[in-house]
Amino acid sequence: MFDKIRLIDLMGLWVQISPGSDEPVYVQVAEQISEAIARGELSSGDKLPPVRKLAAELVINPNTVARAYSRLEQAGLVVTKTGSGTYVSDPKLRKADAADFNILTERMDTLITRGLNLGLEQQDLIEMFKTRVEKFTKK
Amino acid sequence: MRFLAILRKELRECLPWIVLATAVLFVFGYVELFERTIPQNIDYRYRLFSPSNDVYPFDLTKRSLLAGMGQLLLVVSIGLGLAMGIRQFWVDHYAGTWGFTVHRSVNREKILSAKLTAAAIGFVVSIGAIWCLLFLYASKAPNFYVPPAKRIFFEGWVYIVSGLVVYSAAALAGLSTVRWYTTKIFGLAFAAIVLFVMVFQWRLSYAFLALLVGIFVLVVQITQTFLNREF
Amino acid sequence: MTETVLESQSLTKYFGKTVAVDHLNLEIPRGCICGFVGRNGAGKTTAIKLMLGLLKPTIGSSKLLGCDSMALTPVIRQRIGYVTEGHRLFRWMSIGRLEKFQRAFFQKQWDERLFADMLEYFGLSKKQKIKHLSNGQRAQVSLALALAPNPELLIMDDPTLGLDAAIRRQFLAGMIELIMREGRTALFSSHILGDVERVSDRIVVIDKGRLRANCTLEQFRNSVKKVKVAFADRAPTEFEIEGLLNCRRSEKELELVLIGTDSNRINEWAKTVGAEKYQIVQMNLEDQFIEYTAPASKGKLFRWEEI
Repeated sequence: MFDKIRLIDLMGLWVQISPGSDEPVYVQVAEQISEAIARGELSSGDKLPPVRKLAAELVINPNTVARAYSRLEQAGLVVTKTGSGTYVSDPKLRKADAADFNILTERMDTLITRGLNLGLEQQDLIEMFKTRVEKFTKK
Repeated sequence: MRFLAILRKELRECLPWIVLATAVLFVFGYVELFERTIPQNIDYRYRLFSPSNDVYPFDLTKRSLLAGMGQLLLVVSIGLGLAMGIRQFWVDHYAGTWGFTVHRSVNREKILSAKLTAAAIGFVVSIGAIWCLLFLYASKAPNFYVPPAKRIFFEGWVYIVSGLVVYSAAALAGLSTVRWYTTKIFGLAFAAIVLFVMVFQWRLSYAFLALLVGIFVLVVQITQTFLNREF
Repeated sequence: MTETVLESQSLTKYFGKTVAVDHLNLEIPRGCICGFVGRNGAGKTTAIKLMLGLLKPTIGSSKLLGCDSMALTPVIRQRIGYVTEGHRLFRWMSIGRLEKFQRAFFQKQWDERLFADMLEYFGLSKKQKIKHLSNGQRAQVSLALALAPNPELLIMDDPTLGLDAAIRRQFLAGMIELIMREGRTALFSSHILGDVERVSDRIVVIDKGRLRANCTLEQFRNSVKKVKVAFADRAPTEFEIEGLLNCRRSEKELELVLIGTDSNRINEWAKTVGAEKYQIVQMNLEDQFIEYTAPASKGKLFRWEEI
């Protein structure tokens, strides 16, 4: 941190920590990395920064970063090769389990409720969703 | 190495007071002695530095040339003692640097002895040295009608050591933040008593004894409190 | 190397009749960053002073790096860094002089490069006198003086009190730097729970001199839960559930704060009281801490109408 030259080679990774949030820090880190993966900012085979480097960069405990990586690994988004580092996994090898689908369904329901409450029609909602997905994956 | 680092720091912190005491003593002492050697001021009815035993050592009257000097020495010594005692043991506490001073990779005894050594050095180098100089000046034949007796030299030292009693009392007072009314006042009262006893001694050796016993008692108290970490 | 860097048994300190630290039984393992939290006057500073051997305990004892606090040898003290409350340093010294002084006690282990780098990063010069520095700058010097000897155990007493966000971040970064070296441990007391959440592995909660919690941050975060319960009819006024810290009630809803109650038990209880639905809400650390240290069964500070 006190080096004169600061090398930020996080490959465009932008992770923001809000300590006052309800979510534990490691969840925040994991979520934001997974978002970056989803958006294609990180592609399969990319190496995530070493735990210590990210911890020093974000000024959080290295164990927290390790936890976040662990969580991502459990979700199948990353793979840790001992001695080498942590890499974004091959999308073909990712498995989603029932719990993941449940969370996804829950969140979709929340959005649909919101949309309908605003007075949107079914077709509008579907159109809106389609546009957003296209925009997201194009970034 | 570490002891020296603390000693240096303690000396540097007391330096302004040491310099002040030296300057005051030098200037006023010189003036005092000089005045007494001006022909108009010499009162030949009285012996100037009487070597006989019928001049009581601490008779602060005109009968001894030491009268004025004695007062000056006593005042400056007490002043320096008070200043150093407060600087070493009160200021750190109120400034909050006590933790920084005491959490050191040295034995706690070394920290205390560095402080006490600094005080001793301060007294000897400033007041002690100047008193020796002034006494030497007075001893040079042309300056005084009758050269001072050697005993006067030691009388001067009694006044200087009195300053150390006050220093010890101030130090002890500073170390007693818990239950402060008992220990703070005890130290100061004890010092007052010791000085009182000292003044009324007929013999020089008894005066010294009173002072040294007083200092010993106070330093034992200081050491106990310092090592007991009651503050 | 001892596995426990800090331990205390029934550590107690009375100031006259007031108890500042009350039978503290603590054990901190090596290699973690431990956040000491507690309300103002909870006894954090006194506990730290006791453990460093700067104060004599009334009852009990403590050990740092396996050595009794009252008998910390110079060798052990050399391995312990201490940042005092308020970053009090000798005002008459210059930064360079202070470095020389501090360095005299850590000859072989002093990292000169790190000290110089930190001063340069903070924009401070060795000629500046401490009395001319602002609080923030003094804190920075304090941090540099504490990190340069590469301590095995770093203890910081409320190091970020009154400091701006940038300097707070520097302190946290300093702790993280330190912790990444093998075998190092950091302990800091703080009111700023955001900082504690950012960097701590463990959390120790002290309330009115007593130990209320000593666990990993994750355990604490997972233990204190808020449960919102909705009822078809009126919400019950009397009920029982283990671990109840606090309860707010409106006509048809209950909001409970529970500690240590697992989700299965909550599920069972919800069925027993006939709840229509319930939701476990994640709390942030600050809210958890406030609920945890709130005085028992006292209401809110300001009066509100019963709904």
